[in-house]
Amino acid sequence: MDKIVALGIDVGSTTVKMVGVNASGDFEWNYLEGSDPRVEDQVDSFLQRFRTETGMTDSVPLVATGYGRKLVGQAEKIVTEITCHAKGVFKQLGHGGTLIDIGGQDSKVIIIGEEGQVVDFAMNDKCAAGTGRFLENTAGRLRVPLDQMGEVAIAARDEVAISSTCTVFAESEIISLIAHGVKVEPILKGLHRSLIIRVVAMVRSIGLIPPLMLSGGVVKNPAIRKMIEEESGEPVILPEQPQLMGAYGAALIAQKIAVG
Amino acid sequence: MDSIEIPKRIETINSFKAQGGKVAAVLPIHYSRALFRAFDILPVEVWGPPEVEASYGGVHLQAYVCSIVHNALSFLKKGGLEIADFILVPHACDSLQGLGSILLDFVKPTQTVAPLYLPRGKRTEDKQFLADEFRALARQLSNLTGKEPGDDKLLECIEREEQADLLLADLYRNRTGLGLDNLSFYRLIRSREYLPAEQFTELAQTALEKHSARNPNGIPILLSGIVPERMEVLKAIEELGGFVVADDFACCGRRLYPKGNERDPFLRMAERIINAPPDPTRGNSIDERAEFLINLAQTYGAKGVIFYELKFCEPELFDLPNLRNSLKQAGLNSVHIEVDIKDPLSNQVITRIGAFLEILE
Repeated sequence: MDKIVALGIDVGSTTVKMVGVNASGDFEWNYLEGSDPRVEDQVDSFLQRFRTETGMTDSVPLVATGYGRKLVGQAEKIVTEITCHAKGVFKQLGHGGTLIDIGGQDSKVIIIGEEGQVVDFAMNDKCAAGTGRFLENTAGRLRVPLDQMGEVAIAARDEVAISSTCTVFAESEIISLIAHGVKVEPILKGLHRSLIIRVVAMVRSIGLIPPLMLSGGVVKNPAIRKMIEEESGEPVILPEQPQLMGAYGAALIAQKIAVG
Repeated sequence: MDSIEIPKRIETINSFKAQGGKVAAVLPIHYSRALFRAFDILPVEVWGPPEVEASYGGVHLQAYVCSIVHNALSFLKKGGLEIADFILVPHACDSLQGLGSILLDFVKPTQTVAPLYLPRGKRTEDKQFLADEFRALARQLSNLTGKEPGDDKLLECIEREEQADLLLADLYRNRTGLGLDNLSFYRLIRSREYLPAEQFTELAQTALEKHSARNPNGIPILLSGIVPERMEVLKAIEELGGFVVADDFACCGRRLYPKGNERDPFLRMAERIINAPPDPTRGNSIDERAEFLINLAQTYGAKGVIFYELKFCEPELFDLPNLRNSLKQAGLNSVHIEVDIKDPLSNQVITRIGAFLEILE
């Protein structure tokens, strides 16, 4: 492992991610766990873990992003997740385009320019129906483990249209469908479609500039990528660690502070 | 100068009434302040207001009507406009026209309610039409007050308003040298919504005399939309590293009415509104608006435009995609932030503004 010169932390609504980079901005270390409302304590425990795992005792600059970024008193700088995701993805993939980030409680579309700069963006953060929480809630209702629901949805031959545009009402609709004897698999496929249609509509509202890229924790679900490709008609490119792109981008900004 | 003492709305109203005057509640956007003052009526504008329990208006209004109209109707139904002797509802948009009809046909407040129809053009006929609207309104105000001001009195009131508007324009021109933060500047500008012209003139002169040598920090930006509510957003912009150098708000910059030339007072009042900066509610084209915004940004050195828009505001939102596209082609970045004035300022809005300022950095 090369010497880590900077750290980035993404305090998301569902998970907290920390990434350490070397002087060249390469990924060297990372850690992720569920979000704790006591943010500063959690950041302290992350920093402790960083020291323990890497053996580093020197202080390095930390940049914070994510919805809880303002609560990270240890940070040298705070930057929005839009800028950080763009920086992280551009560094990993080496080109601009349209980035979709689907997080636990929001989703974003970011147009990244040829030099890695944010050109435009759109966010959905008022309605859970366009976020990972939509699938999480409904998976719970269907009693399908979250990490299996994508595969189950892909494997389904049939698909049921979910008409409710609200997460809570969608749950009621699921209960009604089950009561009418509809199987779980087509319901799951319909739920994924419902989420993706909203996300792709947001892409269209801002204007798709290929290639289409994807980041965020929800990307671990294989149905998301497949259905975005189906709905947008564009192939989707993934960075190596899509869930860590916000923290990675923050670390790259911290690296600029470290190396001057 | 970090702030300026501005008389409060209720104090101003009470003081005006104590001297024998009447008060008119005026809905957005365009009307003639001078016409009311000629009848010894103080026009006090109702842009919402934001901090109202908005459900009272929901009985009469659809969910897709903007929060200015929802809040205004709720405010009225809760008795907030009882202090007013007259209510004017200019036809700025379909929702406000609908509000006028609801008030006249269903709610029937104790005060006289009058609509004001605005032309959507700049032709001679449009000016004549608006002048006739003002004549009709004058007859209603005469019925209310028993007064019949002549042309000289009307022109005197118009000239007083022109003087106040010239100072308003001076405040904008000297924005960076006033030493006022975003919030203090807009509190001052928006006091024009209720202060008598002579009081606003005094305040503006005081602000201009206290010219500060301190240069403001921050990324220069331009704001556009209907109204900067909740006003905390102005403070948030500053904390995020932005400095508002100019605006295209319906309640502020779009009402920098130029001085008129007509000698007929009614034509003069109409002329001033028709020659005001472009506004979609007065029928200006997207091209006119784009050209205006690009010039405004160049004049004040703005690096980007924040379209701070009310949800469901049709006149604004219909224009927005093409307008933003025109600005983009001219190399001017913009962002669209959508808000409801009845909602507190959210972290999501702050994140969007923060991200936009990071783009401009």
